Amino acid sequence: MNPRTEAVDEETAPSIRGRLLVLLLLPAIAILTLGTLTDYLTSGAPFRDAYDQALLDSALAIADHVRRDADGNPLLVLPPEALSLLRKDKYDSIYFKVTTRDGRYVAGDRDLPDLARHSATTSRGNAHYRDEPIRLVSYTPKNGSGSVTITVGETLRKRDRVRATILSTSLAVDLGEFGVILAMILLGVRIAMNPLHEVEAQIEKRSPKDLSALSVTTVPVEIRSVVQTLNRLFATVRATSEAQRRFIESAAHQLRTPLTGICAQLELMSNEERDSALRQRLLAVLDGARHLTRTTQQLLTLARSEEAAHLHWERVAVDLPRLVEEVVTERLASADIAGIDLGAQIEPATVQGVEWLLAEALGNLVNNAIAYTPRGGIVTVDCGQKDGMPYLRVTDTGVGIPPAERARVMERFFRASNTLGTGSGLGLAIVHEVAQLHRARMSIDEGPGGKGVSIEILFPTSVSVAPGASATNA
Amino acid sequence: MRVLIVEDDPLIGDAVRRGLTGGGFAADLVGTTDAARSALHAETFDLVICDIGLPKEDGLQLVRSLRKQGTSIPVLILTARDGLADRVDALDIGADDYLTKPFQIPELLARARALIRRSNAVTSSDLTLGSLRLELAHKRATVADQALDLTHREWSILECLMLSAGRIVSKDRLMSAISGWDEEITPNAIEVYVSRLRNKLGDAAQVRAVRGMGYRIDEPTDRGG
Repeated sequence: MNPRTEAVDEETAPSIRGRLLVLLLLPAIAILTLGTLTDYLTSGAPFRDAYDQALLDSALAIADHVRRDADGNPLLVLPPEALSLLRKDKYDSIYFKVTTRDGRYVAGDRDLPDLARHSATTSRGNAHYRDEPIRLVSYTPKNGSGSVTITVGETLRKRDRVRATILSTSLAVDLGEFGVILAMILLGVRIAMNPLHEVEAQIEKRSPKDLSALSVTTVPVEIRSVVQTLNRLFATVRATSEAQRRFIESAAHQLRTPLTGICAQLELMSNEERDSALRQRLLAVLDGARHLTRTTQQLLTLARSEEAAHLHWERVAVDLPRLVEEVVTERLASADIAGIDLGAQIEPATVQGVEWLLAEALGNLVNNAIAYTPRGGIVTVDCGQKDGMPYLRVTDTGVGIPPAERARVMERFFRASNTLGTGSGLGLAIVHEVAQLHRARMSIDEGPGGKGVSIEILFPTSVSVAPGASATNA
Repeated sequence: MRVLIVEDDPLIGDAVRRGLTGGGFAADLVGTTDAARSALHAETFDLVICDIGLPKEDGLQLVRSLRKQGTSIPVLILTARDGLADRVDALDIGADDYLTKPFQIPELLARARALIRRSNAVTSSDLTLGSLRLELAHKRATVADQALDLTHREWSILECLMLSAGRIVSKDRLMSAISGWDEEITPNAIEVYVSRLRNKLGDAAQVRAVRGMGYRIDEPTDRGG
């Protein structure tokens, strides 16, 4: 992506939602304002004409009453009742004046302003009279009564009222329309943004270790390429993890195979050697080689348990009694050699887990117990359920772990201060890691009677795996 | 008893061959599945010990082709410790047991003996463990050709243990093995029968209790264990 595009985007698009709102609302406001203005302006002309027509009617009526005296001078003959009727109006004052064509006063309100003289029969206009704006209409008959002009005027109160009514009504209607449009735009933008929020939520609720691809089918076309880019990134990271896994696997093979051979050869040689001094040296070398083998195995287990946390390793229903049997059977020989009574106490329990990691963890616990328990001691492996929570427990009568160090022995390469021998300091770290991977709690306590150590892995409540039922609890 | 070892790593192959020879077996070592096929074609073996990771073709392929031919020779697979899928595959294909690397020679010998014993029981209906011999067809047990005087229940327990020699047999399984003779069997009764059986077997075999799990019959510890 080129930096220029980025800068522009930052400037102009802090929020798509904001942009959409501005882009939709501004034109909507402009159009509505224009509409109101047009309504107001265009509605003025028809009612003005109607009122002007009424004034003209009055002028025509007055014209009918213009007579001529004997000298031929114009004369208004109008009974007072008719005159008062003419002047009568609910809101406005009505004025009139009759003049000759040359401007001589005949009748009416003498100082009423005249309209500019046109050739036309009728004309109309605005003027000011008695401190008020007025509307004037004049009428000059072409024939008949001849040379008179009748001017009729009225104040603008009625017209102002109507104008105000029209303005307020159209304003109210337009404001209502604006409200509806605003609501529709807000709602529309919100609905339109929903798919984006869904993608956002989908990404947000993922575990940071989840590297599976996002679903593209439900994603809006506009951001599909973004999601596809993300998915490509996920795929790259997955591929990297996969490469690491293959590396570890190959390293495991490369290390394990020669170590197996070396240990087996040393074992045979020390058995065959009759010279006891040489035999002791061979046994010491064998001890070192076994320690190296164990540490290699433990490091690989740690690496792979980390990887198991990143990738979704298939979890299966692991039968704890079977696991205990397997692990105890494997360790019986070394327990015999160490003079330890290795036993078990088995109750039914099942967990969803990665079987070989659990076996490795339990094996480490048993190895530790055997290593740190003096000859004649007892090591017991338990499994079962407490309040529906499956557990594995290894109890010994050995040297124990000082309470202050119990939290630290779960760290890699930390070894309790009271231990002798050649432990790697990885055993309990592995157990801790495997427990975490299974969302189990690992606790270290004293053994019965305050002697030795009792280490327990307590798994979260699991759905009991009945035949045919599928346990979803991990 | 003759064992064919299929292992490409010379150090491990040699150690396994030496270990087996020291344990009283005759052992041949080959490095590829092709060589294994010709060896099996030319000679008769009692057991195949086969590594999975071999050059050219893996060990599982060899097991698969052996079983396809209908050969029932017992096969012990050697696998990497964390190759759970391999182990499951191996047993599904028809391998009889597996041993994870790194392993110890005595464990390998015990597994080899157990496999051969099981396959002999199928073909000859005899089970042997050191000087102890069970003739299943006649329900007769001998130690160094001397007949043992066993009750029905003692025989049933011994048979059950011998069929899984070297492995732990749970008390429940022993109880169900003799429940045909007596309806009211308690775990304590099993202990009594096992204790009597131990006395009658003497030094011929070792029946050891594994606390909380059951019993296991082994050859006496001074011999190859």
